[in-house]
Amino acid sequence: MDELKTVRELYGEPRLDPLLKARVRGLLTDEPRRRRWRLSWTAAVAGLAAAAVAMAIAVPGMTGEAEAPNRGATLSGRSVLLAAATTAESGPASANAYWRVRKLHRRTYPEQLGRGANRYWVVESRLTEQWVARDGRVWSASRALGARPGSEADEEAWRRDGSPTEWSSQGEVLSTSPEKGELRAVTGQVPFSMAGHEMTFEQLQRLPVTPAALRDWVTEAVSDVPAGTVDGVVADALSGLLWSKPSPPDVRAAAYRALAELPNIRYLGGATDERGRKGAGFSFTVQPPGARSGTAVQRTLIIDPDSSQVLSSTVTGPPEVRGEQVELVLAAGWTNDRPAVPELP
Amino acid sequence: MTAMSWAAHPAEDAQVVRLSLDESERFSAIFDTYFGEIHRYVAQRLGADAAEDIVAETFLTAFRKRAQYDPSRAGVRAWLYGIATNLIGRHRRVEVRTLRALGRHGPDPDTPGHEEHVAVRVSAESLRPSLAAALAGLHQRDRDVLLLVALAGLSHEEIAIALGIPYGTVGSRLNRARKKLRATLGETNPMLESEEAGRG
Repeated sequence: MDELKTVRELYGEPRLDPLLKARVRGLLTDEPRRRRWRLSWTAAVAGLAAAAVAMAIAVPGMTGEAEAPNRGATLSGRSVLLAAATTAESGPASANAYWRVRKLHRRTYPEQLGRGANRYWVVESRLTEQWVARDGRVWSASRALGARPGSEADEEAWRRDGSPTEWSSQGEVLSTSPEKGELRAVTGQVPFSMAGHEMTFEQLQRLPVTPAALRDWVTEAVSDVPAGTVDGVVADALSGLLWSKPSPPDVRAAAYRALAELPNIRYLGGATDERGRKGAGFSFTVQPPGARSGTAVQRTLIIDPDSSQVLSSTVTGPPEVRGEQVELVLAAGWTNDRPAVPELP
Repeated sequence: MTAMSWAAHPAEDAQVVRLSLDESERFSAIFDTYFGEIHRYVAQRLGADAAEDIVAETFLTAFRKRAQYDPSRAGVRAWLYGIATNLIGRHRRVEVRTLRALGRHGPDPDTPGHEEHVAVRVSAESLRPSLAAALAGLHQRDRDVLLLVALAGLSHEEIAIALGIPYGTVGSRLNRARKKLRATLGETNPMLESEEAGRG
């Protein structure tokens, strides 16, 4: 007999209460009296993370025009970011009721589906929308648009598998059909986070408005990340101000100018997003490659310097994650539209 | 919420934690993936009643410290076990009380699983009170290592990172704990094979 096994026998299997998980989630999110539990992640937001894309959309492509990828923002990359900053500066102040971001997301489901010899990768799409009112109220909507086999080879394997329209994997159900979607009001949450720190609407409005001060502020905020990852996290936090948060115009302008000076932003030249919108591509690595294989995450943003909007974000890596996670920004800005489940695109 | 986020998957953990720095809602995928096994571990050590709060605190702590998480050092799973173990350490009296109850009554008989080990379980019945007492008598730090191996199935390397102790220390704590248990079990059951220490 092995004493480790004896120990396991002694402890046995705790009883599984089917409601337990929901209850613990509730402990984390729904008890404002116990302030120490307050948490923003389940925040609603849950929707934001997810997202989706119609399969009809063409494969993404950086349609590089002349400009070769380069280390650091080149002169032209820098001028694109500075032009975007100028546009951002004159952007509309927050006149309407809600700040709203609507996104289409796409990713490859991380496990092959199918039976026996017929295994294939499936691509999922999702539409999400988040509204934030000036008083801090948050609503989040999410709607799966359906999953499809990824490549042609995947589609053939799917046919041989009997063309199923539903899969269950790891406790999740995937379907080829769109969901009706749901809208929920998010309560007791801080709606935003930056570089790992919760941020309220008011805090965003008070961020520094000069590039150097903003960069210093962010760098200070991320000083607790592992050595060697600071540059990537700073770039991610600065770029997050451009598209996932209701940053005021002068903060957005400062973020663009600060990005223009970062050595770890690569300019990829002219680029077209999956909806055919033209812009300029930039990328940075959030984890340093090389420290240990499998930890690098790269984000590529396509921005439109004429509107200063971020059009799309594509995340790739680490290597064990198949495919890319694409988010297309369909709308970002102030609106008087009321929170609602998004229409199918 | 679950329905609203992508299904979580271990291969994506490090990416999820990293991206959750700027998009905190992504962290809910980590909760969805690991809630089950972290709860199991905490409930085994502290009992179901205390487990709810401790598990909530584990994920809350992980969320707050996600900036310090270094994927090149530890997997997300080992990282979460380390946080849970540190929190369990603050509830020593609850753990000892739980062990005393386990010694008297054994685990909840309603729980499924382990049918294949009926024979082992029966023979363990007689050892239960002394085994529980021996576990309660271990140093907290030795018990942590022993249970991370026995209950969580972590490797020595994962435990070293999760608890922030040198690799060699994991082995020596585990050996010390196993030796004490074996002494206890050996006294009670002379048929017990002696087995080489240091596995896991």
